[in-house]
Amino acid sequence: QATGTDQVVGLVLVAVSLIIFTYYTVWVIILPFIDSQHVIHKYFLPRAYAVAIPLAVGLLLLLFVGVFITFVMVKNKKVAKKAQ
Amino acid sequence: MTKLAQWLWGLALLGSTWAALTMGPTLGLELPLTCREVLWPLPAYLLVTVGCFALGTVGYRVATFHDCEDAALELQTQIQEARADLARKGLRF
Repeated sequence: QATGTDQVVGLVLVAVSLIIFTYYTVWVIILPFIDSQHVIHKYFLPRAYAVAIPLAVGLLLLLFVGVFITFVMVKNKKVAKKAQ
Repeated sequence: MTKLAQWLWGLALLGSTWAALTMGPTLGLELPLTCREVLWPLPAYLLVTVGCFALGTVGYRVATFHDCEDAALELQTQIQEARADLARKGLRF
C-alpha cells in the first residue's frame, strides 16, 4: 500500500512533470505569437536553448544510464570471480 | 504488424511531415515567419512531452500504489492446489 511518503513523492513527480510541460509549451508554442516587445519574453531564455537544453539533458541521461550499466556489470563480474 | 512497427511508422510519418514543412522554403513553400519559428523545435517538443508523460505516469503510479490482495489470494490457492497435486503424484517436499 502507498504510504504517506509515497503519495507525496508521486504527487511531486506529477506536479513537476505538469509544470515542465506547461512552461515548455508556453515557451515553444505560444511565445512566437506574442509581440517581441512584451514583458513575458523576459521570463524565457532565447529560443535556441529550447532545443539545446532538452538535447543536453537527454545526452546526460543516456551517459548516466550507460555508466550505471557498466558499473553494475563490472561489479557483477568481480562477484562472480570471487565465487569461483 | 507489431506494436514496434506501428510506432516506427507513426514516427516516420510525423518526421517526414516535419522535414517537408521545415525544408519547405527551399522548395518554394511560403510559410509565415511565426509558423516556421514554431515548427523547427517541434521534435524537441515531442521529446519533452513524452518525457513529461513518462514522469507523470511514474509519479501517479507511485502515489496510487496498492496491494493486489485478490491476486495474492488466488496465487496462494493455486500454490496449494499444485502442492496437493504434486504430493498425490508422489513428490515429497
